[in-house]
Amino acid sequence: MEMNTIVQDGMVIGGRKLKSRFFLGTGRFPSPAVFLRALEASGAEVITFAVRRINLDNYEDDGVLQHVADRELIYLPNTSGAGNADEAVRIARLARAAGLGDWIKVEISGNPRTLLPDPFETLKATERLANEGFTVLPYTSDDPALCRRLEDAGAAAVMPGGAPIGTGLGILNPYNLSLIAEEARVPVIVDAGLGSAGDAVQAMELGADGILANTPVSKAVDPVAMARAMRLAIEAGRLSRLAGRIPRKRYASASSEPGGRLFIPEAWEGKT
Amino acid sequence: MSGPLDFKLYVITGENYHPGRSMMEVMAAALRGGADIVQLRDKESPKRELIEKAKRLKELTAKYGVPLIVNDHPDVALAADADGVHLGQDDLPIEAARELLGPRRIIGISTHRIEQARAAERAGADYIGVGPVYPTGTKPGRQAVTTAYVAQAAAEIRIPFVAIGGITEANAEEVLRAGARRLCAVSAIVGHADPESVCRNLLEKINAWSLGEQAAVPASLPISVAQTLPERRDVREIALTVNGRSERTQAATLLELAAQYKLEGRSVVADLDGAVVPRQLWGETPLQGGCSVEFVHFVGGG
Repeated sequence: MEMNTIVQDGMVIGGRKLKSRFFLGTGRFPSPAVFLRALEASGAEVITFAVRRINLDNYEDDGVLQHVADRELIYLPNTSGAGNADEAVRIARLARAAGLGDWIKVEISGNPRTLLPDPFETLKATERLANEGFTVLPYTSDDPALCRRLEDAGAAAVMPGGAPIGTGLGILNPYNLSLIAEEARVPVIVDAGLGSAGDAVQAMELGADGILANTPVSKAVDPVAMARAMRLAIEAGRLSRLAGRIPRKRYASASSEPGGRLFIPEAWEGKT
Repeated sequence: MSGPLDFKLYVITGENYHPGRSMMEVMAAALRGGADIVQLRDKESPKRELIEKAKRLKELTAKYGVPLIVNDHPDVALAADADGVHLGQDDLPIEAARELLGPRRIIGISTHRIEQARAAERAGADYIGVGPVYPTGTKPGRQAVTTAYVAQAAAEIRIPFVAIGGITEANAEEVLRAGARRLCAVSAIVGHADPESVCRNLLEKINAWSLGEQAAVPASLPISVAQTLPERRDVREIALTVNGRSERTQAATLLELAAQYKLEGRSVVADLDGAVVPRQLWGETPLQGGCSVEFVHFVGGG
């Protein structure tokens, strides 16, 4: 296998070919300048953001979009703040009216403490928005059956969470994630809950097609360095997945031939 | 068809709505009132009779320079040398009708949701019907699509679209406010004792909104009060909800309200009573007391 072709293999979502497998969130960065440097370091082509009411008393531009206006990016607004499908659809329509494309991350939480997705409302919203012509990427529970139902409803990719948003707990259910990756016919983007580059490697090794991260980058001590670490981790994990890991074994197997060795330790007697 | 199709007031025949008066008499009145496209809709008559009706109507509409459209039947349209055909979702596909009618005749189709509108546009329809906006006796049992679908079509569809279904003089403003610039009525016109004056009144409303559009601000320009419509209004103050907050304003349009909050030149999206209002329509979107406006923008998020 040719190394460069592996590292640069792309994926297609909603008809768009993506070179980078890293989706970067735009929230909670120390400053727009740090965000821009992190974006540069991440190599991400897709950025996410949220739709909110403007402050009527003191309206200032958020600073994110105005700085990236000159870049070729894909915008993935989310429906955070929605508690049901109707609200998510309404937010999605508002986002599309801004004229930045038709991608939408469906994010519907039923619980403010965990922010875990509501599966029923997420499925409903995905179906409705796909029918309205949106490119829908639902943030979902890491459940293989649900991910399949989301695909059937028209999701362009599925985005199972590794752990609740912002917790940094990493991949809590690697088994489920590997099943989702094994069965999915659309790209699987692991969204939410990652803590560091190590989690990104694990997700990619389990078969994910990409990673969406915000908090682990923006709240890292050095966001720019973490953005780069994540990028490298995603490449490393993808490469490792394609390279094929060895099976896990219970006991050691020496990496050198046993023949011709100088000694046979006494303690090995009867144990080889 | 010479040049791209356009029209404002689409009138459809409905003989059951005017017992005692002939179709020709009623349609002549509608044409005098300014109907600028006419459809022969008759689900009862055998084809031979339909062709005769179409021929007589075509003679009449030709005097006014108005196109005649035949509902459902491309063969009848051809036999009567009508200007086009109007299809339902379950009729002949647009492509097949186009084969029969050739490139010059008009093909329109009824749509009930935005996917159908998009499909019609892709398939080469010359115009679409958008409705039924309100429940209607002409299509009993069909669920009304409401002005929400009108707004969607206005935001997205490039070919002419005509709002239809339960439209009357009383609710026309509401449909126009949602973004329609062409209206169609059946019972409100042909079922009225004076179709001519109903047409005049409807056209007047359509024209008022269409003129407003020409004065509307291009989306790329910053908003400013100076660019709102030159139309004279009495100063009045209304109570409304803006971003969840109770407010009072003298602003008459969404554009004036946006300017009041100094949203000039900002990337802001507006929603009025649950429906997105495209920026180019802010200047002609009036605010009613008790309405609810949301101004939103993008913030950092994951």
